[in-house]
Amino acid sequence: MKGKNRILVVAVAALISSTLATYWGLLASIASAQPYVETFPELRRDLRKQLEPKVKPGEEFPVPVKPLPKDISPCSACHGPKKDFPINFRRKEALLVHRNIELNHGGVRVWCLDCHHPEERNHLLPLSDGTLITFEHSYLLCGKCHGTKYRDWREGIHGKRTGEWNGKKEYYLCVNCHSPHSPRFKTLEPMPPPSKPWTPKDESAKH
Amino acid sequence: MSDRQFTDEESVPEQGHDDVDPKGPDRESGNTREPLPDRRTFLKSAAGVLGLFAVSSCTWQEFFQKNFKQMTKEEIEGTIERLRTQYKEKYGKEFVVGAEGPIDGTLYAYGLDIQRCIGCRRCVYACVEENNQSRDPQIQYIRVLRFKRGNMDLEESTIYYNPEEVPEQGYYYMPVQCQHCANPPCTKVCPVQATWTEPDGIVVVDYNWCIGCRYCMAACPYMGRWFNFAEPVIPKDRINTQTHYLGNRPRMRNVVEKCTFCIQRVRKGKYPACVEVCPVGARKFGNLLDPDSEINRIIKTKRVFRLKEELNTQPKFYYFFAI
Repeated sequence: MKGKNRILVVAVAALISSTLATYWGLLASIASAQPYVETFPELRRDLRKQLEPKVKPGEEFPVPVKPLPKDISPCSACHGPKKDFPINFRRKEALLVHRNIELNHGGVRVWCLDCHHPEERNHLLPLSDGTLITFEHSYLLCGKCHGTKYRDWREGIHGKRTGEWNGKKEYYLCVNCHSPHSPRFKTLEPMPPPSKPWTPKDESAKH
Repeated sequence: MSDRQFTDEESVPEQGHDDVDPKGPDRESGNTREPLPDRRTFLKSAAGVLGLFAVSSCTWQEFFQKNFKQMTKEEIEGTIERLRTQYKEKYGKEFVVGAEGPIDGTLYAYGLDIQRCIGCRRCVYACVEENNQSRDPQIQYIRVLRFKRGNMDLEESTIYYNPEEVPEQGYYYMPVQCQHCANPPCTKVCPVQATWTEPDGIVVVDYNWCIGCRYCMAACPYMGRWFNFAEPVIPKDRINTQTHYLGNRPRMRNVVEKCTFCIQRVRKGKYPACVEVCPVGARKFGNLLDPDSEINRIIKTKRVFRLKEELNTQPKFYYFFAI
């Protein structure tokens, strides 16, 4: 019995010691892992700070105001609660006026009053906090649906900027490039291709 | 062998003068030489004098002008003054030849959204206008390559596409210009150090120091350099008078030129001309060292690649996908 006990004790001791030896590195690393635990949230905070936009939403952008075309009168001249034209939320193809507007934006999902304010006709639909969007700041409205594009535009990745790379810039607004009624970018005529290099065989080519 | 050769030769040292005109003075006088210079010395000195006449088309200051990197401030000012009078004679306009140094804490980089580029070549011609490139023979710093969709083989791309309207269905476009490598092969091969990388990352050429050997053109894997095979022709009314010594000042024949990120503009804080003109906003420019710059945001948040990255040229020209 005594001999058996001794063997058991030795075996247990060997097991414990081998386990300790195997996991000693891990135990030691857990004990000394303090710096990693310390730095990781900082790193993450850093990353978040980097990814955060510089300008908070709602703050004003240094954007040039795009004036409305001179030939259109204020919308409220015809539209309004006391005016003749009723508010129509449903799609209606045969309009008497605004025939020049080709609506090709989002298929049947988008209609006039999905962007234009039904009552305040000189404004666009409001932000979620109720502030009305003027036509000059239409990019705020665009950003309501096209959020990823809006974020890219705000950071200067989407869209065009001119001026100074380290100073005062002019931002092109969404509507400077995309017509809000038909936003697909229009095709352009390309500038002439480069002249081909002169070769002895090509007699007509200028060298 | 003719008999004449044996009969004419009188002494061993004169064998070297085999080609001398037999009616020359030292021939007729036989062994007793007159103190006249022999033909070789005469030709040497004549060539020297002729050479001086040949260089007289350029001024002494121009001939002895140093490499731009080694010039003192006064020498740079003198050079600029000389260039301005020279340009005024040629083009009849007052030029501004700047020599602004790099802005501290800047390293320029470029971004190009190849999903957005429509291949309209507006950038090519804005660059030609801005940088006073020769119209005939034609020099254009930007090549717009057209690829079939799904193909990235440069060999199968074309720069001569000319449809009615762009973008075309089934194609995409990739403009290529100097990539302003951080490890540029072109500056390494220059035998006279006429081309180098500025501290703000722009690879420039000192046109007055360039000898026109075109080693740099052979070394560049992007075909980003151009040689003035003939005197550049620029219409006088289209010349851009706002210039920089290392940038868009009018070039001469037999020198290499290249894109400088519009050094005359960016060192004054402005965007390059190609960025300003791009109708789709595919071109981005900024400072790599500024963590909030557009180019840094692109590199951090978008998929980017650099052309021929495997060559370890380390371009500072990032093509990216905004979506």
